[in-house]
Amino acid sequence: MLGRTAQNLFWLSRYIERAENMSRMFEVGYRMSLTSRREGGASEHLISMMQAAEALESFELKHKQADVQSVANYMLFDEENPSSVKSCLLAARTNARSVRTALTTDMWEAINAAWLEFAAIRPRDVKGSKIQELLGWIKQVSYTYRGALLSTFLRDEGYAFSQIGNFVERADNTARILDMKYYVLLPRATVVGGDVDIQQWTMILRAASAHRSYRHVYHDRYKAWNIADYLILRQEMPRSLAFCVSWINRTLDMLEDIYGERTAGHAAADAVTELIDGNGVDRIFEYGLHDFLTEFINRNNRMTDALAESYNFY
Amino acid sequence: MSQTPPFDEMHNADGTIREPYLILEEWLKEQPPQALSLMSADAESLFRRLGITFAVYGSNEGTEKLIPFDIIPRIISAMEWRRLSKGIEQRVRALNAFLYDIYHRQEILKAGRVPEKLILNNSAFCPEMMGLDPTRGVYSHIIGVDIVRVGPDDFYVLEDNLRTPSGVSYMLENREAMLQLAPELFQRFKVAPVDSYPETLRRTMESVAPENTKGAPNLVVLTPGIYNSAYFEHSFLADQMGAELCEGQDLFVEDGMVYMRTTTGPERVHVIYRRIDDDFLDPLTFRPDSMLGVPGLFDAYRAGNVTLVNAPGTGIADDKAVYTYVPEIIEFYLGEKALLKNVPTYNCTNDEERAYVLDHLEELVVKEVHGSGGYGMLVGPASTKQMREEFRKKILARPDNYIVQPTLALSTCPTFVEKGIAPRHVDLRPYVLVGDDVRITPGGLTRVALKKGSLVVNSSQGGGTKDTWVLED
Amino acid sequence: MKIAIRHDLSLVLGPGVQRGVEHLLLTPQSGPTQNVLGWTIEMPGIETAATFIDGFGNRAHLVSQVKPEAELLIAVSGTIETIDRNGVIGKPWGDTPPALYRRPTAETKPIGAITSKFRTAPRTGADRIPLLHALMTRVAEVIGGPEEAPAQAQSQTGDDATHSQSQSQSQSAPEASTTEAAPRPPASAYAHAFIGTARALEIPARYVSGYLALAEDGATALHAWVEAWDDGLGWIAFDPMLGYCPTDRHVRIAVGLDAASTPMVRSVPVVSSPENRELSVSVAQ
Repeated sequence: MLGRTAQNLFWLSRYIERAENMSRMFEVGYRMSLTSRREGGASEHLISMMQAAEALESFELKHKQADVQSVANYMLFDEENPSSVKSCLLAARTNARSVRTALTTDMWEAINAAWLEFAAIRPRDVKGSKIQELLGWIKQVSYTYRGALLSTFLRDEGYAFSQIGNFVERADNTARILDMKYYVLLPRATVVGGDVDIQQWTMILRAASAHRSYRHVYHDRYKAWNIADYLILRQEMPRSLAFCVSWINRTLDMLEDIYGERTAGHAAADAVTELIDGNGVDRIFEYGLHDFLTEFINRNNRMTDALAESYNFY
Repeated sequence: MSQTPPFDEMHNADGTIREPYLILEEWLKEQPPQALSLMSADAESLFRRLGITFAVYGSNEGTEKLIPFDIIPRIISAMEWRRLSKGIEQRVRALNAFLYDIYHRQEILKAGRVPEKLILNNSAFCPEMMGLDPTRGVYSHIIGVDIVRVGPDDFYVLEDNLRTPSGVSYMLENREAMLQLAPELFQRFKVAPVDSYPETLRRTMESVAPENTKGAPNLVVLTPGIYNSAYFEHSFLADQMGAELCEGQDLFVEDGMVYMRTTTGPERVHVIYRRIDDDFLDPLTFRPDSMLGVPGLFDAYRAGNVTLVNAPGTGIADDKAVYTYVPEIIEFYLGEKALLKNVPTYNCTNDEERAYVLDHLEELVVKEVHGSGGYGMLVGPASTKQMREEFRKKILARPDNYIVQPTLALSTCPTFVEKGIAPRHVDLRPYVLVGDDVRITPGGLTRVALKKGSLVVNSSQGGGTKDTWVLED
Repeated sequence: MKIAIRHDLSLVLGPGVQRGVEHLLLTPQSGPTQNVLGWTIEMPGIETAATFIDGFGNRAHLVSQVKPEAELLIAVSGTIETIDRNGVIGKPWGDTPPALYRRPTAETKPIGAITSKFRTAPRTGADRIPLLHALMTRVAEVIGGPEEAPAQAQSQTGDDATHSQSQSQSQSAPEASTTEAAPRPPASAYAHAFIGTARALEIPARYVSGYLALAEDGATALHAWVEAWDDGLGWIAFDPMLGYCPTDRHVRIAVGLDAASTPMVRSVPVVSSPENRELSVSVAQ
């Protein structure tokens, strides 16, 4: 397989996952802003959401005011925002076109149809109830693509690179969602680790589609300790860091089987695994949740670089 | 304007149905009123979903359009096809012999049968190719011959397309679409299959691998990338052949060999179906500013370590000015008369012919010698006075830059348009593969001018395509 | 005459280059006017280089390196035995058809002041060779300046050429070295002017790149001259810069349509002109 093909498949999956995540994150910020009771709170929630998505700085260069319309435009439709849903879908399709021959028809059609449909949407038509509808649709796109991948894609190296891209992105995103809560919202409220703002905890869990399943797992009210445990360490939670890391490891083992050797990418993945396996929630809080998440994001990035080097992405 | 009505491929002059179309006529009659429009809409969504699009030059980057697909097939009888394919085979053999000769001893020039200057001073002639011996002596492996029909037995060759003819993916996808849209039609007809084309292409490429190839040759398709207008076709063919689709950056030259970068390191490449123009193929030999090519590729080719399909410099044989000499070329190398006709062509550098041309612009077709895709072209009968005036000036300024031909009454085929079924002008591009043998896929791409009365079939100018059926005996 | 040649070139590719690829036309071939007694090229990657005959009959090398040094050193050395045939190369077997060398190129546009003199001159049969000689003289006058006689040009070039020099010279425009305040045009300018007119008169003419040994004590130069076609004698060499037909002091390296088609080194990444670090062409005993 061409190194470029591997790279394109990796990024294709990343961008699809990112489009989904952007839509989730926007949804959280949007809902929080709708239910905010404090003066100026609406804008604050949108801002913290963009901060977590690393989109705030560039947003502020273009917009003075963070309201639902301007943020929706920026996060969903603005092609100058490299992480907007539109940019992600376009990047996914561009990558898909480059490796068209490596995709199944179902995968290609999922992306192609999604792009054609999205490109036809006029941003000014998206308001009120249409916003939720669109956000739901974006998640559907991701599910359709992933469904096509899981049910039609040959289980070879191309599948492996796709899966790694998917879970690298998801892990990154979950880490950022958690960081949004601790890093941006809590420091000026009460003690870190406290459970003062049930509403905001709900939103975090929602962003990970975890607000209902949480009850099944913990049979308890929302607690910071549990939420961190859930999103970081629980294997059965499909957006948790632990879950993503174990998928990445399994897929890297598959690449080892195919190519007959371990690479610098495997070593870098071990460094990520260590961080998750070696720490309980207590230790993570001791370490500082924000610091822990930052370290995780860094190691996750280093793994991507190592993989690119090992498998001749260019 | 020509006075006789154009040849109708479906109807005889007395209104009766021509034999190859008898069954189709029946089928059309059976269709309920809305069936054809539904089928047409299905076809469009099918193509869009598959991503069969092309980019239009001059429009915004990333703009992709569908080439309209017409659901009524064009039908050619077995006997007609035999005649046609014989003529095509003769042409491609002679043109390959011509390419070999002008890049070696140039006997045809010494014999004075083709003017020396026309070849050697031509920008399409590639001096770097002199003395090179391509595997099996084949220069142009993949050819698409443009043919028009003006009568029951009257076929003319418009252009030979020996560089990188496109459109073969449409031939294959059109058939696929017809099989999905009207499977029952195929039970009534015996239509020669076209789907072996990718396999034949693979076999052709393998047969011209460099002599020092050990084991099965590694084949790739080299594309300029996803923004090229024919990118869909490049990826389609690579996929169908099971070859890697490479961009210039995926290949490199080391130790005189060509390699591709894979996830497990370099892998040698033996045969490259390149869809990049000569000028951009190799910045070391041709344009140094080319970002699309592979540095050293041409030298590796000269050293006999890789085969380029088609060879650089084949453009000299389909140059519009050389076209006039093809009957001469066939006689010189094969000792036979040409089986297919050339369209008579006026030479504007000749005073007498130029005077005639300038007097009769409203009846003639003017083409730029190096133009393609229907650009830089004047169709006299459809032109305005202003357009003719513009071309008059252009011809006077650079008479050698234009060739002029009479307007041919292209045959018409029944076509599904807004108002129902109506005749529209068509041409035909059969695809030929030359390697260890000459192989012509029965059928080809039929292009149809969808505007009433229009003679321009190019997709960039509002043309569409049809599935082309060659019937078996 | 035996001529020893030592030529060191440096190619500055720049730092951090992933791959270097070079096309070399740096190998003389034996022929009617010379026998190659020994010839070596040393440079990174030369052991695994591909070698082949190019479109004009020259011996070419395709050399490549992975992560090359910022500066690539090429060392060429060898000995050639030359034979003075008054410039007559003849009709070597298997040579490219002469008609090819009527093809105009961007670098060989005819110069009006030269071409106008010959437009009506008889140029076929026995008239061709005198015409070519007259053309050689005229090119020297127009390109070199009218005050400079060809004979002076020769001695001037010889005097100033040093045994071993370090200087930068353009590959596409090799020149006999000079330290005069107003430098003479490069040899390529003379050759292109000659070729332009010859082709305008429908006479095949080609560009020759090579080395020149001027004096017994070993004067040196990269040089360029031309060969023109005569139906009877075949290819005849003319040196319009020096104003006479090449002798046993000219070592032929490559022929082509013009300087652009006969560069000694061409590379990707593109380097406009390799530097000649050492160049000596001396008469061996």
